[in-house]
Amino acid sequence: MRHLPLRRLAWLLFAAFLVLFPSLFREIRVHIATEVLTYALFAVSFNLLFGYTGLLPFGHAGFFGLGAYAAALIISHIHGMPVLVTLLVGALAGFVAAIIIGSVCVRLSGAYFALISLSFQMFLFAVAYEWRSVTNGDDGMSFVRPDLYLPLLGKISLQNFNNLYYLTLVLASMGIIGCYFVLKTPLGNAMVCVREKDVRASFLGYNVFLVKLTAFAISGLMAGLAGGLFAIYQEVVATTCIDNNMSMIPVLMVVIGGPSHFLGPVLGAAFYVVLQDWISSMTGYWMIIMGAIFVLIILYLQGGLASLFTSSRVWRGGE
Amino acid sequence: MGLGIESYIVQMVHGLVYGMLLFLVASGLTLVFGMMGVLNMAHASFYMLGAYLAYTITGHLGSFWLSLLICPILVGLLGIFIERFLLRKAYKGGHISQLLLTFGLFFIFGESVRLVWGGAPLSVASPVILAGDIHVAGMTYPVYRLFILAFSFLVLIGMVLLLTKTRIGIIIRAAVTDADMVGVLGSNVPVVLMAVFGAGAALAAMAGVIAAPFSSMYPGMGADALLDCFVVIVLGGFGSLYGAFLGSLMIGELQSFGVLWIPRLALVFQFLLMAAVLIWRPTGLFGEKE
Repeated sequence: MRHLPLRRLAWLLFAAFLVLFPSLFREIRVHIATEVLTYALFAVSFNLLFGYTGLLPFGHAGFFGLGAYAAALIISHIHGMPVLVTLLVGALAGFVAAIIIGSVCVRLSGAYFALISLSFQMFLFAVAYEWRSVTNGDDGMSFVRPDLYLPLLGKISLQNFNNLYYLTLVLASMGIIGCYFVLKTPLGNAMVCVREKDVRASFLGYNVFLVKLTAFAISGLMAGLAGGLFAIYQEVVATTCIDNNMSMIPVLMVVIGGPSHFLGPVLGAAFYVVLQDWISSMTGYWMIIMGAIFVLIILYLQGGLASLFTSSRVWRGGE
Repeated sequence: MGLGIESYIVQMVHGLVYGMLLFLVASGLTLVFGMMGVLNMAHASFYMLGAYLAYTITGHLGSFWLSLLICPILVGLLGIFIERFLLRKAYKGGHISQLLLTFGLFFIFGESVRLVWGGAPLSVASPVILAGDIHVAGMTYPVYRLFILAFSFLVLIGMVLLLTKTRIGIIIRAAVTDADMVGVLGSNVPVVLMAVFGAGAALAAMAGVIAAPFSSMYPGMGADALLDCFVVIVLGGFGSLYGAFLGSLMIGELQSFGVLWIPRLALVFQFLLMAAVLIWRPTGLFGEKE
């Protein structure tokens, strides 16, 4: 991809738009933007596996939910823990779980992989649901959003929604940009190579298992971070964070947005959240419309919405 | 709480009933997977649609038996329509694309059911002739559940006869093993596939209809049945009908006794079992095919 000055200018404008967002729009829009950013990170983490490594995880909410639960448990039990450390622990929870679960999952592929990742997520869901003394079951754990302390800036109240938006913006962007750079490394190329033909990748000397596991672990890390951000945004963590509906959300977002473009999942997340907000104000049955859009995109627009904006229909990952 | 031998027997029959229902749903799923390589996520929606349609048809026509006849036909036609006009279009996108397509349909059906019938649980009265309990050796058991058992065994026998004794059955079994080769040998595999897809949908709907009087209907029932079916076909081995049968009975009994002994861990155990089978024997306990 060539970096034309025009493209750089567009990125600068987009960044400025994101930074100025809270002063341009009403608070309710800032809420929605925060949600979009969180889901965008979740969807990008999903797409590291789906779009770039060729694995379809049906249980990605497991890592998202672990991040959310880790953050909620720390906030409710350890007072005075810095928010950033809390979120880091949430991300690491997703990372460690992804290494453990991934080391058995990535040996499989196709529908088998989808099902085994689903079964681990259902297992984690069942633990969250039944272990009431720790997780409070399906009633969930609610807490008050703690304040953020930063050097130089001092105390920043996250009860102010604009501050929460900026926190989410910075961390989600860091996660998403981090994923982008991972894909630019030799590891990213190896992931694409494994997606295209894993046997050939192994003949070329790649350790296919290790490549898939690393992708899985990085994906779990980012999903855990997204989960932690989600917990802090919602101020409540319940089994809905870790159930199979939550696992299905990134599938919808990524397929709608376009798995073959790096920013497709971001576009899909924005589309999903905004459409949900817009349609659900008119009807409670918005999932029918989302499902119909999803089916139409699979049938007629395999590259997703992102392919409408790019010159080539299918933009392969890496280079 | 001390439990007599009677309660164990009752619990076992409960498990058998649920297992047989599960088998009616899972058999179509596993056959389609064997033939097309597509995990049809919309399959459990057919089960749900069967149950809900039974509610409406029984309500309008006043006859449970008519709905047992009509619902599977309607849903079977729907299945044929989906295979012919939607799945086949997604064929060029590969299996993952088809899997995602059925996933989208699963969503659409789930929400449509909520739109048409509402979110509250519904139930269908069991036919008068099958109401009441039966008393055997000091145990009481609802007649209707025994009917489910008998009916599903009949369907099972019919299915086995069809698959082993008839020409079409031989073609289906051959196509599960190697669809391309069967096509080369002169059978019209796409038509067979469409028929199997439709028949699988009809069977799932039939299971839905007979399940309607004994368990209430709710919009999430499709998702619940789907998860159980996944476990069943993983246990039994993708594409294996006998595997699906044994897997269904295992899950039926596991849930039935799990509720009795380890209510809090039954769900956990079920998914750990599925993960364990996928790790150590991805072809399932009874499957032979890679």
